[in-house]
Amino acid sequence: MSGEGGALAAALLSMGVLALLSPVLDRRLGRDTGYVLAVGFLVVAAVLAPAASTALDGGAVTFSHAWTDSPEISFTLRMDGLATLFCLLVLGVGALIMAYCPRYLTAGGRHGRTYLLLTLFGGAMLGLVLAGDLLLLFVFWEMTTVASFFLIGTGGARAARPAVRALLVTGMGGLALLVAMVLLGIAAGSTDLATVLRAREEVLDSPLSPAIATLLILAAFTKSAQVPFQFWLPGAMVAITPVSAYLHAATMVKAGIYLLLRFSALYSGQTGWVICLMGVGLFTAVLGAVQALREHDLKAMLAHSTVSQLGLLVAAIGVGTTVALAAAILHTFAHALFKATLFMIIGVIDRQAGSRDIRELSGLMRIMPVTATLAGLAGLSMAGVLPMIGFVSKESLFQGFAGADVFPGAGVVAAALAVTASVLTFAYGMRIFYGAFAGPMLQRQLHEPSWAFIAPAAVAAVAGAVLGPAVSVLDPLMRQAVLNAEPWAVPPYFAFWHGLSPELFLSALTIASGLVLFSARDRVDRMLQRLPRPDGAAAFDRVHSAVLGAGAVVGRPDRSDSTAAYLARPAAALVVLGCVGVFAADGPGIRAGAPSDPVDWGVLALLAMAVAALVRTRSALAAVSLLGAVGLIVALWFLLAGAPDVALTLLLVEVLTAMTAAFVLSDLSTRFPRPRRGAAAAALAGAAGLVAALGTLALTGRRELSPAGAYFLEAAEPETGGRNVVNTILVDFRGLDTLGEASVLAAAALGLLLLLPGQPDGTVGGPRAPYGRVLGPAHRLLLPGIAGLSAYLFLRGHYEPGGGFSAALVAGTAVAFGYLAGRTGPRWLSPRPLLAAGLVLGAAVGLAAMVLGDPFLTPFTIPVPGGGLSSPLLFDAAVYLMVLGLVVTVVDRLGAGRAEHR
Amino acid sequence: MSGLVLALPVAVPLLAAGVLVACPGGRRAQRLITSAVSAGILVLSAVLLAGSLDGTVRGLSMGGWPPGFAIVFAADALSTLMLCVSAALVLASLAFAAGTGDDASPWFAPLAMILSAGVYGAFLTADLFNLFVFVEVMLVPSYALLTMSGGRARTAAGRIYLTFSLLASTLLLAGVGLVYGVTGTVNLGELAGAARQSTAAALAVGVVLLALAAKAAVVPLHGWLPRTYPEAPPAVTVLFSGLLTKVGVYGLLRVYAVVHEGTGLRWPVMAAALLTMVVGVLGAVGERGMRSILTFHMVSQIGYILLGLALFTRAGLTAAVFFLVQYVLVKAALLMCAGAVETAYGTDRTDSLARREPLIAAAFLVSALSLAGLPPLSGFVAKLGLVDAAATESDHLAVGVAVGVSFLTLVSMVKIWAGSFWGGEDPSREESLLRLMARATVRPALAVPALVLTVPSVVLGIAAQPLLTAAAEAAGGLLDASAYVRAVTR
Amino acid sequence: MTAAIAVGVLTAGGFFLLLRPGLVRVTFGFVLLGHAANVLLLAAGGPERREPPLIGDGDPAGMADPLPQAFVLTAIVITFGITVYLLGLARAEHLAGSGSRSGTGPEGPAESAEPPR
Repeated sequence: MSGEGGALAAALLSMGVLALLSPVLDRRLGRDTGYVLAVGFLVVAAVLAPAASTALDGGAVTFSHAWTDSPEISFTLRMDGLATLFCLLVLGVGALIMAYCPRYLTAGGRHGRTYLLLTLFGGAMLGLVLAGDLLLLFVFWEMTTVASFFLIGTGGARAARPAVRALLVTGMGGLALLVAMVLLGIAAGSTDLATVLRAREEVLDSPLSPAIATLLILAAFTKSAQVPFQFWLPGAMVAITPVSAYLHAATMVKAGIYLLLRFSALYSGQTGWVICLMGVGLFTAVLGAVQALREHDLKAMLAHSTVSQLGLLVAAIGVGTTVALAAAILHTFAHALFKATLFMIIGVIDRQAGSRDIRELSGLMRIMPVTATLAGLAGLSMAGVLPMIGFVSKESLFQGFAGADVFPGAGVVAAALAVTASVLTFAYGMRIFYGAFAGPMLQRQLHEPSWAFIAPAAVAAVAGAVLGPAVSVLDPLMRQAVLNAEPWAVPPYFAFWHGLSPELFLSALTIASGLVLFSARDRVDRMLQRLPRPDGAAAFDRVHSAVLGAGAVVGRPDRSDSTAAYLARPAAALVVLGCVGVFAADGPGIRAGAPSDPVDWGVLALLAMAVAALVRTRSALAAVSLLGAVGLIVALWFLLAGAPDVALTLLLVEVLTAMTAAFVLSDLSTRFPRPRRGAAAAALAGAAGLVAALGTLALTGRRELSPAGAYFLEAAEPETGGRNVVNTILVDFRGLDTLGEASVLAAAALGLLLLLPGQPDGTVGGPRAPYGRVLGPAHRLLLPGIAGLSAYLFLRGHYEPGGGFSAALVAGTAVAFGYLAGRTGPRWLSPRPLLAAGLVLGAAVGLAAMVLGDPFLTPFTIPVPGGGLSSPLLFDAAVYLMVLGLVVTVVDRLGAGRAEHR
Repeated sequence: MSGLVLALPVAVPLLAAGVLVACPGGRRAQRLITSAVSAGILVLSAVLLAGSLDGTVRGLSMGGWPPGFAIVFAADALSTLMLCVSAALVLASLAFAAGTGDDASPWFAPLAMILSAGVYGAFLTADLFNLFVFVEVMLVPSYALLTMSGGRARTAAGRIYLTFSLLASTLLLAGVGLVYGVTGTVNLGELAGAARQSTAAALAVGVVLLALAAKAAVVPLHGWLPRTYPEAPPAVTVLFSGLLTKVGVYGLLRVYAVVHEGTGLRWPVMAAALLTMVVGVLGAVGERGMRSILTFHMVSQIGYILLGLALFTRAGLTAAVFFLVQYVLVKAALLMCAGAVETAYGTDRTDSLARREPLIAAAFLVSALSLAGLPPLSGFVAKLGLVDAAATESDHLAVGVAVGVSFLTLVSMVKIWAGSFWGGEDPSREESLLRLMARATVRPALAVPALVLTVPSVVLGIAAQPLLTAAAEAAGGLLDASAYVRAVTR
Repeated sequence: MTAAIAVGVLTAGGFFLLLRPGLVRVTFGFVLLGHAANVLLLAAGGPERREPPLIGDGDPAGMADPLPQAFVLTAIVITFGITVYLLGLARAEHLAGSGSRSGTGPEGPAESAEPPR
């Protein structure tokens, strides 16, 4: 990495620093910040000067720094002749625009954001042309798009829609560029731009080649406003004039041109490339010129003119000959000069006269002779009239087009179209000048703008005039740029005067026809106004709203309030999975399991009947009873399957569920609404049931006792001292599951507390309990028994069916009973202390093991008088507390509401 | 650091929840406890992540029982990365909740702690049944937080959210049961490669994957998410966005990588990925409210992550993990912007915010551009990685869809920006907004969390390499699960 | 065989109720689905071994696999917690819908967040 390479990075960095400084400067200097920035741009240019001179000698200066490995993005900057040319435009025109801004922008306003964005844009554009890595090129490309979006947006509320159009159109192109870069990286085997450009053979031989070319063209066409994307550029004119001049005339729209020039090294001369670029480019050139000729707004005319000129450039790049390519490069330069001048002048007119409409402006030549002269110089350059630089570049273009040979006669057609566009250009150039400056003087109070306001325009205009005769000054730069675009080319020398060449004849023809057109301007105008206007913006808006509409349609199913709409989808997915399974099941397939016990069949029949009755009933009371019955039958099933613990727990859960449901249902209508669309639901439910049954049949009961199961049966007693293996798993082996489960209950209880507001007195139960007189004594009688049972279940859990969970549920029934009896429990028997104690105890028991240096939840024994208190017992106590906490909460929050409701 | 600490992310929040329930104290004390716990876990997981970057997988057998019989926790690069980003998100959400006042209820803090314990547990466990339990530990508090303080719209949304999640959980439980039925184990390590060896195991795991897909909001099982998330309190939406579906996605990554060894389901996963991307983004562009657009978007982003899973190459998985991490932060920042506006103005359908709320506008802007994948922000690196990975595999359909969806993402972000931040073209609206302006501005306490979360958007874009390295390590652990398997079986 | 049919019946019934309107019936549907999952889990342990896994109470060779039983216990408890919350939600929905009770309106005043004393 040379010092010059570091200069490239320093230049970019300086642009960033300048951008960040600009709001600060704006606070002190106001609108004059622009002058500082203009100097800044020139300093950056000076920093780049040594690198530029190396580049012009045929070398290339590079800077490289790794950004990411995979995906590989390298921060590689590379300055060669082509990059130098564009740097000159970015910084040179940029400095002029920055010097123009202070007198254009309103005094006293805040312009920090505008300056920030403009400078950021300048930096991004500089990065774009200096990027030496495919993906880095994309990075800067997108940054220019975003900067453009916000700069257009500075135009106020009416700018929102055009800004969005510009962003989306160029953003689409940006994504095309991204894919192009990724594919190109794959095809060429590298993302280093210089390496890729040397790998022409590999890229062209790759099957990805046509796709890459198409995507590159798409990206370039959106950025450089080619048909059918041209509409965003005239729309972008709502931005302030410096933005239009800098981004939408001189630089950003040239990014597409730069891209096409850059990748000419790969695709130049390829038939598809040639036809596409020339066809679209020339069509755009003519269309843009026609559009420009029918506008009345000076800025709109210039916008369409830019579209037209960009079309000429695209077409010239497409021709594929060195002459045409050289012409395109020179014209890029010339266009930046004259178009920036014209925009600045129009900004001046707008500020001085308060209008840009040629129907309102007239006779400004007498009031502002200097301004008029500058406009004339730039206009002549645009029209391609001697001795301007525009004349030289236009002649070169004619020469280039005439040499087109993609098919026989292509040169004639291309030259004819180019001449047509140029004739129209001459005509609208006259229209601009004549419309603003000629005619009677209407606004006498106007005066010439201050020299500071027009000086930047003057510099560009004079440069355009001087560089025509002195075009050979540019030769080193232009020739090197041509060489970089087409490494195999023998670049031509530009000459101001070619002698009596065919091009001169075409120029003369252009001017003559243009004058004819101008002299018949009223008739032409009427005719043009009758032509249909291609309204790309409206078409874009239609597509845009169609997409939004389609989105609304896609989202519509997800606005339903019915749970069935959401629950049906997983059910259907399960059925689909089942169908896949039936087809995929190879090997054992589905076979009947071991012969089942006759008792099983009996229980099954009961179950089926209960379920059938449950789904059919419309009585809430019957539903609660049937649900309880189903629970009982399932509990019986578990008992028969050798799971007494499960059966006991399920039984208790059923009791409490039924109790809760009864609390809630007393509030609700006791008849369910008549079902609708029952058949579809039944079909889906039936299918899901079938899948579940087949799945169970095929995927269970086909192996021996699992190693884990065998281990637990074997190790439970020796390892934990417990004989109830299931309980040892819950509190010892897989205590974490149990801690999680208890936390779920605590969360459910906290959720109920959050969801349902508390009782005024916050106690469990209440004096208004419904059956107090009868149940009160009964409760007093039963309470010791229930408490004793609960304690018994809890303590024996490790050895026999029981444990913290079932014990707490038993205690919970006592609380529920107490509520119904209208008895107030003790203060600690309320949600907060129970839940808090449970959560803290559960986590603390587990963490205590860690304090001892063992893994979380490792059992340990706490020595207490009369033996040891084992940690699993404490853990089970935590579970007990949380379960009881939930039951108490339910009684408190759901039961309470019921009482109040009566 | 020994594997013993792996239990802390679960145990400490549960302990904290208990303490918070016991003595709710003032809100300030609650905030102090919750943020201290979350910050501690963030630091712990960052240390664990640093230690797992060399491929080390730490294991912990709960209760000291032999692995295979005990529940095993394992921390590799993927798990610790998820842990890190989740802890960061919990911290940010808590700060945001303090701003919006969503933490006014004394039950908010303990529920958030239990939820976070569930999330951390789900990222750490290597046991399918335990995964089910932790998913429930995460979901039950989420039911409560979503429906917090009731109200018609919220309970309606809560009903849909709750029933759908419950159905997915039931499916997950049944799937775990079937896995145990076929293989006799629920330990992920012992299940390594099981789906490749037997169709029966593949089908059983298929039910688990289906359930996880429902939790991750994979199309067509996505409808619940855009319907319910926008109804939650603003801070809760932020919390959910970064955690809940991510557990589903993490589960899909882990189970598919270990049990399927990344093969066998390429086409179904790819189809689901592309469909999810497209439907999610179309739904987003069709929405109106800021929060609705953003939440529908989440569906689309899940699709991007699945794309990496479908490719199952190092590049694809790296990009997917990178995408996941940065997107959690970006989306949280966006939802915070929307939530801040909603809290201050009472609606998220406002306009002219760019002028009135420069802080929120800046935060939104950076995050939205990142979400749309614009350089040089983190979202760009993520999308580039996925596109690059798909292109390398010559999966051009996926490339096209990814880019097209990216474009529509831009459309939706621009829709919000032009509507809510510029906007103001309608004079009748302008008038009503003048009144709004008089009384409402976003307080700094609301804007700061969103602004802070934009920092990673920028940093993870410009200095993407450290996270890419971690993501690559995580991807390596998915591609070759042998170290993970060793750590959880032994 | 019987286990599979039981799972099928419970699943079908559960899904049918899930697809009905009304949160209470949906809740009942989930209870049925929960039963289905639990029967399935037990079946996954192997239906041939049916002795309770209580050491010292029977022939260890015929004892049922205890692990699925532990799973089912955990699952039952979790389902219970969620069911209870669902029913609470039905209550809250009813209150919000009918507006019969203050404190659960859309704006949710502070007392809804008050802890019980």
